[in-house]
Amino acid sequence: METIILAPNSERHIVLWNPDSTDICIRQEENSHLTLHIVIKEQAKSANNICIELVGEEAQTDIYGLVMASGNDDISIRTIVNHNVGKCKSRQLFKYVLNDNATAAFDGLVVVRPDAQQTDAFQTNRNLILSDKARIRTQPQLEIYADDVHCSHGASTGQLDENALFYMQQRGISLNAARGLLVDAFCHEILDTLPPQYRETANEIAN
Amino acid sequence: MLQIRNLHASIAGKEILHGLNLSINAGEVHAIMGPNGAGKSTLSAVLTGNPAYTVTEGEVIFNGKNLLDMPPEQRAKEGIFLSFQYPVEIPGVSMVNFMRTAVNETRAYRGQKELSASEFLKLMREKRELVEMDSRLTQRSVNEGFSGGEKKRNEIFQMAMLEPLLSILDETDSGLDIDALRIVAEGVNRLKTPQNACIVITHYQRLLDYIIPDFVHILADGQIVKTGDKTLALELEEKGYEWLQHKKD
Repeated sequence: METIILAPNSERHIVLWNPDSTDICIRQEENSHLTLHIVIKEQAKSANNICIELVGEEAQTDIYGLVMASGNDDISIRTIVNHNVGKCKSRQLFKYVLNDNATAAFDGLVVVRPDAQQTDAFQTNRNLILSDKARIRTQPQLEIYADDVHCSHGASTGQLDENALFYMQQRGISLNAARGLLVDAFCHEILDTLPPQYRETANEIAN
Repeated sequence: MLQIRNLHASIAGKEILHGLNLSINAGEVHAIMGPNGAGKSTLSAVLTGNPAYTVTEGEVIFNGKNLLDMPPEQRAKEGIFLSFQYPVEIPGVSMVNFMRTAVNETRAYRGQKELSASEFLKLMREKRELVEMDSRLTQRSVNEGFSGGEKKRNEIFQMAMLEPLLSILDETDSGLDIDALRIVAEGVNRLKTPQNACIVITHYQRLLDYIIPDFVHILADGQIVKTGDKTLALELEEKGYEWLQHKKD
């Protein structure tokens, strides 16, 4: 496992671009700020473990994940965010787009230790399923042992909005192009947060 | 332009249109009025190919082609436009991207070349001015967070952009205050040419003070039960839909 330490008051942006596997642990000291992106597309198999240890107060972590899977792809991401001390903030947004026979999993665990008062933790997983056979298993979990905290998590899985598709077709947009515009819109919430040097590639994958 | 013959259509196994007949020529404005549940919105859904509806009998010919054989996008490219009663919000899809895709796909279908970015933006600006639409709205996602009036104005803006041959305005007046109604109606009137036609579907006579119809049809129980000129709308307004019921009995 790779371990990265963010020194007090430091800032770091990590982009995991299309990994076939990840095993990473990031320790964040006081008032450090981490932004982490994981983008997976065109990987037949990819298993990823990301662990964040918040060990200094006022540390902040923002994690964005995007998975685009098709064919027989099998993709999994597991995150553990450990709030060991108080006054830290964690944000996680994971979006999956699955087509054909793709299988994917999201396991997200947020642990708030007894001393981690005034924790602010937020986790969301949203999934778009484009075929009858694609499957997603999502398991967002919160373990809270402190009482003065602000935590929320949620997961939703859906298909493309039929009304939006028909509206676009009625304007002369082919069904394929309409689907493309909606998938693109779904992904851009993540892609727009990437550093500039990745933007162009991001547009290509969304299209 | 459009011939509808003995059209029967159903949704979820329930027949709503029971043998509807209607002919429309270029240059004409037809109003379709009728009580709730008469089949007004079903007619617009069937003409545009909404997959929720099934045609069980009859035919629809548009400029010599069988409309019912075409997918929705092809009908649109042939020149059929629907101003939706409830325009759909599409978060994350910008108005510019949406309109550029629609305009360029339609142009390609008609054998015209794609517009360049600057030509397209110029067209957007021209048409926006025509329907008095705020430039802030065209910089946002499609209909996202638009008020009721802004959504209806956006429908007319899209109509101006796409220059359809047959426009169907489905209850465009619902939820509009009188100023918004006037602006929307003026937009429609400005877009009228001898080559295009319009079907105005409405529950109330009010809209027809602004968009003057050549024909008024009354739709009840899935059929057109009476056709007249604009005075029919006034008569209907005065006597109510009850009057029709009595006439039928």
